[in-house]
Amino acid sequence: MPLHRQFSIDGKELIISIKGKFDFSLVQEFRQAYSDVGDQQPTVFIDLRETEYLDSSALGMLLNMRKALGQSVKSIHIINCRPEVRSIFDISRFDKLFVIE
Amino acid sequence: MNELSYELAPQHATIAVLHDDSQLAHEVLAQLSVLSQLELVTSLLNDDIASIASTSASLVLLIQADATPLPTAVVALLQEQPQAIGVSQQLVTLDYLSAYVQEQVLWPWSKHLLFNRIEQLSQLYQTHQKIDGLRQALAWHKARVDREHQLVEHIFKNALSRNYLNYQYVNTYLTPVSKFNGDLCLISPGPLGNIYMLMADFTGHGLAPATGALPLSQAFFAMADRGVSVAEMVTEFNYRMSRLLPNDMFCAAILLELSANGERVNYWNGGMPAALLINEKGDVLRHLKPTHVALGVLDDEEFDSRVTSFRAPKGSSIAMFTDGVIELLGHQHKFLGADALEILLSTYPKPEDFPQIVKELERFRGETPLHDDLSLAILCCRPTELGQTKTEYEHYGLPFRLESVLQAEQLKQLDPVALILSAISQLPHLRHHRTTIYLFLAEAFNNALEHGLLGLDSKLKQDADGFLAYYQQRYERLQQLREGEIRISLEFEPTHKEVTIRVADTGEGTPQHDGCDDFSENAYGRGLELLRQMTTDLTWDNETRTVSFKYRL
Repeated sequence: MPLHRQFSIDGKELIISIKGKFDFSLVQEFRQAYSDVGDQQPTVFIDLRETEYLDSSALGMLLNMRKALGQSVKSIHIINCRPEVRSIFDISRFDKLFVIE
Repeated sequence: MNELSYELAPQHATIAVLHDDSQLAHEVLAQLSVLSQLELVTSLLNDDIASIASTSASLVLLIQADATPLPTAVVALLQEQPQAIGVSQQLVTLDYLSAYVQEQVLWPWSKHLLFNRIEQLSQLYQTHQKIDGLRQALAWHKARVDREHQLVEHIFKNALSRNYLNYQYVNTYLTPVSKFNGDLCLISPGPLGNIYMLMADFTGHGLAPATGALPLSQAFFAMADRGVSVAEMVTEFNYRMSRLLPNDMFCAAILLELSANGERVNYWNGGMPAALLINEKGDVLRHLKPTHVALGVLDDEEFDSRVTSFRAPKGSSIAMFTDGVIELLGHQHKFLGADALEILLSTYPKPEDFPQIVKELERFRGETPLHDDLSLAILCCRPTELGQTKTEYEHYGLPFRLESVLQAEQLKQLDPVALILSAISQLPHLRHHRTTIYLFLAEAFNNALEHGLLGLDSKLKQDADGFLAYYQQRYERLQQLREGEIRISLEFEPTHKEVTIRVADTGEGTPQHDGCDDFSENAYGRGLELLRQMTTDLTWDNETRTVSFKYRL
C-alpha cells in the first residue's frame, strides 16, 4: 500500500505515510486520506520516511490539502524527509507553509 | 550420532574362583558351570594369580578343602576384594577363612545359599550396568545439549551483534535468569538519524523464548535500516510471531522511536509494563501504558497497530522495563512493586546516576536468586547525534548515454520515468541522487506529455477540484492519443559528475514559460520553477518542444 493513514490512539494526530512514489497517481487516495479529520482539530503528520520519489504534483497535492483543511486541523507537519526530499521542499519554500521536521 | 549408548549388550557377572584343585573344588566348579548367566575365571591357589587379579570380578570364590595357609598374593587380593565367599566342607577351614572373606558356605549343606548369593549378585551386577549405561547416556545428552546451547549462543551472538546497546544516550541493566534471555532489548539507529528501541518479554525463559527472539530481532534490524514506521514494524512483528509461536506463548513488547532531534516519540506498547517519561527533576510526566495486547496473540485482521506519540521535553528520559524488575524478589521476601520502582527511578532522573539505580536494585535483591529475567533501559530524549546514513561510493563511474523514444502506445502503457530510474539506480553514483533525478525527469516528461502532446492547461489546477479534473483529463486524453512521440535522453559524464537531461516531444510546442518569480501558494507552475532553481543550462529549443538542462551530482 503506497499510502497509509492512521489516527493516533487519542485521536489527536493523523498520520499519513507515503511509500515509494508520491505523485498524481495518489491524487484521489491522498484527498480521501484527509477528507475526514474529525472535530478534534488534530495535528496532521505527513510521514515521508519511505518516500523515494516525488514531483511537483505532490507539492500541489500538499498545498491543496493545506487549503482544504484550513482551521480544521491544528497544524500540518511534514516529517522524516530524506535529505533530497527535504531540499525539494526547501527550494519550494514549503517551510513557510508547513512544519518540516 | 547414535543414541543407544546405554543399551549395551547384557554382560554376565564375572566370578573369580580360586581353588586348591581338590575333589571338592572340582565338584563345586562342575555345579557352577551349569549357571548360564555366569562367567567363571578360575585359578589355582598359588602366588601366580595375576590373571585373576586383572579381571574385574564381581565376586571371588575361595574353595579350599582344608585349612592350608593362603599364599601372600591371595591374601593381598582378598584384602582388596569386598565380595568374597569361602567354600569348604570343613567347619575348621571355614573358620580359618573367615579372617579373609565376609561369608562362608559349608559344602554341600549350604550350597543353595551359594547359588542364591550368586543369583543376587548377578542381578545386582546387571542393575549396576544399567545404571551405568544410563549415567553415560545422561552425560552424553548433557554434552549434546551443552554443545547445542553453545551453537545457539553463537547464532544469537551473531544475530544480535549489531545491537546498538552502547548507544551513548541509553543506559541498560539486563540480567537473564539463564544463559538465554527471555527478554529482549534491541536498539538500532534509523536512516534519518532517528533511533528505535524495542523491549520485549517472551513468556517463559530459557532456550524456547530465545528462539522466538531470533526472527523478531532480525525483522527489527532490517526494518530499522529501512526507517520503517513504528506501526508498520509492529504489524510485521505480530505477523511473524502469530505464525511462529505456539498458542500458549506470546511476546509482550514496547517499540519506541525517537526522532533525530530527540523531541518526537512514537510508541506502541503491547502488554509491557507502562514505561515512564521522567523529566530531569524527577517528575513522572507520562506513563507509556500498554494499550494493546502482546505480539503473537491476534491475527492480522484483529491486530491494532495504532501508535501513541508525544513530545518529550528537553532533558527528559524514558525508562522501559520488563515485569521481572517490578516483581523482583527482595532479600526480605517482598516484591519490589511498580510504585517503589517509580520512586527509585524518579529519585535518580539523571543519566549519570544510572549506576545508583542498579546499585539500589541489587541491594534490594541481596542474595535472593532471580526468578525472572530483568531488563531495564533508560533512553535520554535528546538529539541522537547519529546523523543520516551516508553510503560511500567509488569516485569514477561509467560514462553513458541513455535514450528512450516512446510512441503513443508505449506512453499509454508505461511509466517511463520510473523505469528509467530503476535502471540508473543500479549505478552507485546516480543511486544517491535518484530522488532529484526523478524529479527532473518527471517534470520534463510530464511537461512534454501533458502540454506538448495532450494540450492540457495548467491553469485548470488552480483549485482542488480543478486539480483532480486536470488529472482526469490527462488520463482521458492519453487514452485517446494516436500519434506523437517523446524522446528522453540522459547522459552521464563522470569526470565532472554531470548529468545532462534532454526531453523532446513532437507536439504543438508549449507556450513559452516566463520565469515565475512569485512562489505563490498556487498548486501549479512549481515544476518548471524547481528545474530553474536546481539545474544549470536550462534551455528550450525547437519552439519549446525540446528542453535540456544539466545537473551536477
